[in-house]
Amino acid sequence: MVKPSLIGLVAASLVAAIVGGLLRAGVGSQLLQVGDVASRALVAHAALMLSAFLGTAISIERAVALKARWSYLAPIGSGIAGLLLLSGAPEAGGWIAAAAAFVFVAVNVALALRQWASHSALLLLGSTAWLVGNLLFALGQRNISPLTWWFAFVILTIAAERLEMTRLMRLQRAAGPLLRLIVVALLLGAALSAATPRAGGVLFGNALLALSVWLARFDVARRTIHAHGLSRYMAVCLLTGYVWLGSAGIAWVGMSLGCPSRDWALHGLGLGFIVSMMMGHAPVILPAVARIKLRFGPWFYVPVLLLHGSLLLRLAGGAIAPELGTVGAAANAAAVGVFALTLLASALARPDSRHRPRNLIESH
Amino acid sequence: MIEALTRVVDPEVSLSIVDLGLVYGVVVDDGLARVRMTMTSAACPVADLIVEEVETELDRVVPAECRIEVELCWEPPWDASMMSRRARVFMHW
Repeated sequence: MVKPSLIGLVAASLVAAIVGGLLRAGVGSQLLQVGDVASRALVAHAALMLSAFLGTAISIERAVALKARWSYLAPIGSGIAGLLLLSGAPEAGGWIAAAAAFVFVAVNVALALRQWASHSALLLLGSTAWLVGNLLFALGQRNISPLTWWFAFVILTIAAERLEMTRLMRLQRAAGPLLRLIVVALLLGAALSAATPRAGGVLFGNALLALSVWLARFDVARRTIHAHGLSRYMAVCLLTGYVWLGSAGIAWVGMSLGCPSRDWALHGLGLGFIVSMMMGHAPVILPAVARIKLRFGPWFYVPVLLLHGSLLLRLAGGAIAPELGTVGAAANAAAVGVFALTLLASALARPDSRHRPRNLIESH
Repeated sequence: MIEALTRVVDPEVSLSIVDLGLVYGVVVDDGLARVRMTMTSAACPVADLIVEEVETELDRVVPAECRIEVELCWEPPWDASMMSRRARVFMHW
């Protein structure tokens, strides 16, 4: 059972990241007058969202899987780093985040040694991408490069989990080598992003597009969309996420070539793909890491619809009129808020049907 | 006991751990009900939850005086050939 304090760190990072994002989108600018925390959240939005929030959440999942006490140093460090960013100590925050990512790489090595497979190797690659992003950030880089590496971390982690699920199906022989090619392109794009951002960005964006096609073609969601209840819900979140991933790839190429598609690239990816993935998996992961039982129902589709609708408003509407983009951004945050409330209501609605098993011996 | 285990379901694919081929062995011997099982991924945080559900379902069917033991193991490594026919049909094998 993950301690409430760690869950609290995750929640705090998410709230700070969302506040920073809203401020960047021009929502709630009055907050900037209140104190320095708001402006720090604005400046560190990407670090808070991708590293402090997602890094902490993902490293909690792996710590729960590995079941070694030292593995919790990664999420604890990552969460504290987020607090330091908000407290006006970005140097300390940056280096502690890098140390946390180093521990996380070790966790992934341990997991890969327990069970060597393509997906565990991919998780390990993803963890090194987080480390590189955090190191660049600690060294003071504030350009597209740490951001690209952070996105690579999250995307490779998601791709690894999806690759793991594809083992339930019989894939065409070309699927494995194709994915390896896409991963190489993604990492190469990230690596080039510092020195040659144009070339790196074009490669990275194309890799995102290729990955979306690979996932749409091979993911188990193509089967489970025909299932019922939670399985179908997860498939809906995944497949709609893949559409956003593909569009974000195109937007990323455009952004690298000077087109005004930065918001579509970053938030099509961050919200359309990543948050949609999270909404899909939360009903399964939250009970596993926080021991909170949830009652699943069709009400879970409400925040998902709100997320995708508001994102369309922000990105497509925002291209027509900036005010629509701002309204869309506010609605994005509302979607996440509604999702949090949905989780809360579902937890409260769940009858406590478990009775304690007797005389148990567990050996893992 | 196997029937009880068919009620433990992977939430994403709606297939039971029996159908997925995750149950390696079920033995009742000398007052002890033992299940040996694996997961498709060692990096998955849901393993503990699945094991708990296995214990809960066994608790419903195993006599009160019998102890329950669930062992999570990683050898032999799981692969798709261990899936049941029903699972393979659903996954379009």
